[in-house]
Amino acid sequence: MNRRTAIRSLLGSSLVLPGLLSELLAAPPAPDDPLAPKPPHFAPKAKRVIFLHMSGGVSHVDSFDYKPKLFTDHNQPYQVPKKMLDAFAKENRSEVKYYKKPGWEFKQRGQSGLWISELFPKVAACADDLCLVRSMFSDNADHAQATLGIHTGSVSFTRPSMGSWVSYGLGSENANLPGFMVIAPALPYSGAQLWSADFLPGCHQGTHVVPGPEPVPNIKRRLADPELQDMELSMATAFNRRHLASRGADPQLAARIRSFETAFGMQAAAPEAFDLAGENDATHEFYGLPRGSTKGFAWQCLIARRLAERGVRFIELIDTGASGNWDAHGNMEEHAPLARNVDQPIAALLADLKQRGMLADTLVVWATEFGRTPFNTAKDAKGREHHAQAFTCWMAGGGVRGGMAHGETDDYGNTIVRDGVHFHDLHATILHLLGLDHTRLTYRHGGRDYRLTDVSGTVIQQILA
Amino acid sequence: MSLQIPNFAVSLALCLLGPAAGAVEADSAAGLEFFESRIRPVLAEVCVECHGAKKQKGDLRLDSRAGWMKGGASGAVIVPGKPDDSLLVTAVRYWDKDLQMPPKKALEAQAVNDFIEWVKLGAPDPRNEAPPVEPAQPVVAIDFEKGRQHWAFLPVQRPPLPAVQDRAWVHNDVDFFTLDRMEKAGAKPAPDADRRTLLRRATYDLTGLPPTPVEVEAFVSDPAPDAFARVVDRLLASPRYGERWGRHWLDVARYADTCGNASDYPVPQAFKYRNYVLQAFNDDLPFDQFVREQLAGDLLPSAAEPERQRRIVATGYLAMARHFAGGDGEPHLTLDDVIDNLSHAFLGLSVNCARCHDHKFDPISSRDYYALYGIFSSTTFPHPGSEGKNRPANLVPLVPKAELESLDKARAEQLVALEVEKKAADEAKAAVEKEPESPEKKARVDAAAKAAAEVRERRQRVSETPLYPLAYAVSEHAPANARLQVRGDPKRLGEEVPRGFLQVLGGQPLPRESTGSGRLELAQWITDPANPLTARVFVNRLWQQHFGRGLVATPNDFGTRGQPPSHPELLDFLAARFVESGWSVKALHRLLLLSHTWQLASSGDPAADPTNALWTHAERRRLDAEAIRDTMLFVSGDLDFTPGGEHPFPAVTTWGFTQHNQFFALYDTRQRAVYQMQQRLRKHPFLALFDGADTNSSTAVRATSTTPLQSLFAMNDPFGHERATRLAAQLTALAPEEPKRLELAFFTLYARPPQPEETAMFTAYLAQLREKKQLPPEQAWASLARVLLGANEFLYLD
Repeated sequence: MNRRTAIRSLLGSSLVLPGLLSELLAAPPAPDDPLAPKPPHFAPKAKRVIFLHMSGGVSHVDSFDYKPKLFTDHNQPYQVPKKMLDAFAKENRSEVKYYKKPGWEFKQRGQSGLWISELFPKVAACADDLCLVRSMFSDNADHAQATLGIHTGSVSFTRPSMGSWVSYGLGSENANLPGFMVIAPALPYSGAQLWSADFLPGCHQGTHVVPGPEPVPNIKRRLADPELQDMELSMATAFNRRHLASRGADPQLAARIRSFETAFGMQAAAPEAFDLAGENDATHEFYGLPRGSTKGFAWQCLIARRLAERGVRFIELIDTGASGNWDAHGNMEEHAPLARNVDQPIAALLADLKQRGMLADTLVVWATEFGRTPFNTAKDAKGREHHAQAFTCWMAGGGVRGGMAHGETDDYGNTIVRDGVHFHDLHATILHLLGLDHTRLTYRHGGRDYRLTDVSGTVIQQILA
Repeated sequence: MSLQIPNFAVSLALCLLGPAAGAVEADSAAGLEFFESRIRPVLAEVCVECHGAKKQKGDLRLDSRAGWMKGGASGAVIVPGKPDDSLLVTAVRYWDKDLQMPPKKALEAQAVNDFIEWVKLGAPDPRNEAPPVEPAQPVVAIDFEKGRQHWAFLPVQRPPLPAVQDRAWVHNDVDFFTLDRMEKAGAKPAPDADRRTLLRRATYDLTGLPPTPVEVEAFVSDPAPDAFARVVDRLLASPRYGERWGRHWLDVARYADTCGNASDYPVPQAFKYRNYVLQAFNDDLPFDQFVREQLAGDLLPSAAEPERQRRIVATGYLAMARHFAGGDGEPHLTLDDVIDNLSHAFLGLSVNCARCHDHKFDPISSRDYYALYGIFSSTTFPHPGSEGKNRPANLVPLVPKAELESLDKARAEQLVALEVEKKAADEAKAAVEKEPESPEKKARVDAAAKAAAEVRERRQRVSETPLYPLAYAVSEHAPANARLQVRGDPKRLGEEVPRGFLQVLGGQPLPRESTGSGRLELAQWITDPANPLTARVFVNRLWQQHFGRGLVATPNDFGTRGQPPSHPELLDFLAARFVESGWSVKALHRLLLLSHTWQLASSGDPAADPTNALWTHAERRRLDAEAIRDTMLFVSGDLDFTPGGEHPFPAVTTWGFTQHNQFFALYDTRQRAVYQMQQRLRKHPFLALFDGADTNSSTAVRATSTTPLQSLFAMNDPFGHERATRLAAQLTALAPEEPKRLELAFFTLYARPPQPEETAMFTAYLAQLREKKQLPPEQAWASLARVLLGANEFLYLD
């Protein structure tokens, strides 16, 4: 039911005075809606993005960046450059480190023969859809800054989030749902700065969804009686229209009248999007989600698919938060349960999108803030430290080539030897796939034009389909 | 290819030369051979194009031994024998994102290893011939003389009052300037706002709250010609005024109650600065003095102790700078935040572009930036607490000096005594532990251990108990000029820059006899009436808050990238008048509010002045986040007018926040919104919803977004439902009869009585609720209150 029908239902009750009736049913005046859909700069390959962020730093050498020498040279000494030592705890700053073999076996996968480890067996099975970027690097080896960097393009100052830029650039396809939604079970590194609109208009801020009974704030009708809410909204609309009529059709007043209609729509649309009752058992099983559960990445991925279907422009899923995550200093084995949480759901999401014909125009990005050191201080060390010099992210669908790897690290995954990709480049590429030129998507603030990619960023041409 | 596998030739060379191989020995045949075969070709092919005769990027040449020995803008590039200390190695290694050479693509791993080995070898290089010289490229310097011609840098000129035709329309001097432009454009001013609208507008503008029905009645029925002037005086004298206007300044100063580092440590003393700001506005502290106190309050002479302490607290403005990361943070970025904020807040300039390079658009150079930087690197900033250093440090005691010394001394003595006691207890414990085994031993050991632990605890308590109140404020540090940071990188230092003021504003150096950081001088340069920016920038902020948009529409940017003023003469007139009045902010409010221009209705003639560029009518404005919340509490009788104090943060002794476990709290109060605790890593949810100020950078203009999430708040948030129920109850108590009650509701929320049609509408609505829904009166009225609180007329000011 939308607002119009609600208003119509009140006609019989003769609540609304006859003089206002025609006004109420008239088309709303063209509002100055900052979320209205906007054309991209050029024809896009992707219409929406699903951004999967693994919090804490996933080891590239244990997952997507195969280094046979790391197996053979296990416990061989390695002299690290002094600069690298910052990533180590004070007591671990000796310059001689020891290579550490990966904890998971690597195999060639699919037609493409990409080497992917057993850490993500089900994602590995999608190899032919994946575009691995094995030459990512970051400016900072600290969680808070690196996480901020991959989300906003700045490792220090707060800047608008990538999703906010996309919302600002393209607007929203579904007036009943926010254009940028972030599903995160816990507070991540750098907190809500990750989805902040910062200086962009506030409507582009990410709506944080916490898995549970009220995923969007105030989405649940507080009045037990739906008809009473209808009556109140109709009364408010009638009163607001009188107010508007005496004030020369001010667009901001009109926009607010409309926003109540949208909110009313969201009350129905958002719970519907989050209601999995209509998903059959096979789908639940496919994602690995017990019926009725809102826990884990399986729920997040299935919801992401539903939001994507409903036109949400930028959907971000963060698997964990600022603790209990991939930050495996102590023991790489900690990667195993985290991988189990995400592996099947991600593979299911890719397959599901593909089967629905949506993968072609949905860009799925799998990211983490940095990688982990191929070496450690002691021979018997079980964990790995932060490694911003090289790590792996991947993309799928939405106009990227599948079954390929871009960029290359050295024999041990220490440093990039070919086609380094900074997060500015990743951002430029994501915007490009959405039909946006990252140098033209600007916003004037504090006396200068800002962009997501600051003054850098190069679109990775080699990976475009 | 691995870095570990030594090149055969090099190993051989090292064996031959032995460990003492230095620069001279390095130039042995083997070393030179290595250079010729492995290094020279790469240099020639890859490096010399930009670091040779044609170009000398980064002031560096690699086409001769002398070239690299001289180094570049960042200093030495090769330290023979030490690859890890050689920038050239750093650059080719591609580890450092800010220093990667060659810029487009890393060298092959083999070539990188060759460079490392070559440097280890002592960097043998036979190229002793003088390199060909080409004339250096002319350095494009900023033309400050030309830059000063930009309107904002020209001196403030007090213009004569324009001659206007309709002299009778003019209420005060402001109107000459606006009417003159309207007449020239053939535009007519809107009619006057009616009295109720005027009172609602003035009361919100000055206090952030609506007028009460009694105030509305009093003003509407006051026939005296100075009735409105007295209203303005009454509002300016109200403590609510400082809570409103202090908040506007806190927006500009990006005030927050946490520090913004990776763990967002709380700053329990921040509220003292906040309250200082509110008090300064209530006291009409002259604005120039307000600026001086915030920049250098600790350095100003103070007659009495309370004044001295108040001025120390004022420097909380500087201390409020953002912190970054963990441990010792990133001090250069904190100082950048200081410079960024003060240049925007006081001067309306973006200076921080010059951290990395000369400003591209405004006449502000990197030297300017580091001239200011030196002032703040000579200042001690408080440490708020961070992951790794989780206790605050360098806070400033708020206690007379003599008392401070005696208190510190007493505690030091107490700690010495406790140390002795602790030692004795530890020894006693050790002695008991050594005793031979016996049935009583365990009890004796336990008792001794308990005693030792008790002393430790006592010692901890004594050392952590605050002896006196503290301020989150700055103090003087050993004064020193800063060195320029190449491309803004604090690890790449260039030449020393003497501390001083921006060249485009005079470039005043510190006086020779200056012995301090330079903050006091900076405060004087900024508040010098000859400075063309300070007064202009502030009067524009005042205009903006009263008229909905500044005369300069970019209030934080008066540079060439900002908007020029719509009424340059008026801006200068206001700036000149402001300084003449002794920088009295309240006098400026009176001047603006008593102008005819401010008192116009919001319905203008869109044909003659479509964008209201001529100020032919008032701008309709949405209430800001604080006004929305405060009004909802106020009209429901729930607003607590007690001024806010310290927030209930967890005790400092318990702090251990990390980036994995950030500080996060929401403290619900019924006090005015300005007193709510506001964080940096996470916006207060209500303030975020209604476009509250950014706590991370200066907010000059609040956005006024309209989103469905705001409407969902109005429809479903318990806060709104509770307010409506309470409002209904209040109205019922005050006006038992329904028609009167509706009238009171309209007076309370909109400062006007309902029109007959509205009375009919709402009466019909109430009847409907009773008859169709069988709602009891209190619920029917709560429903009606929700409608009235959700209305546009509630949210917008005409």
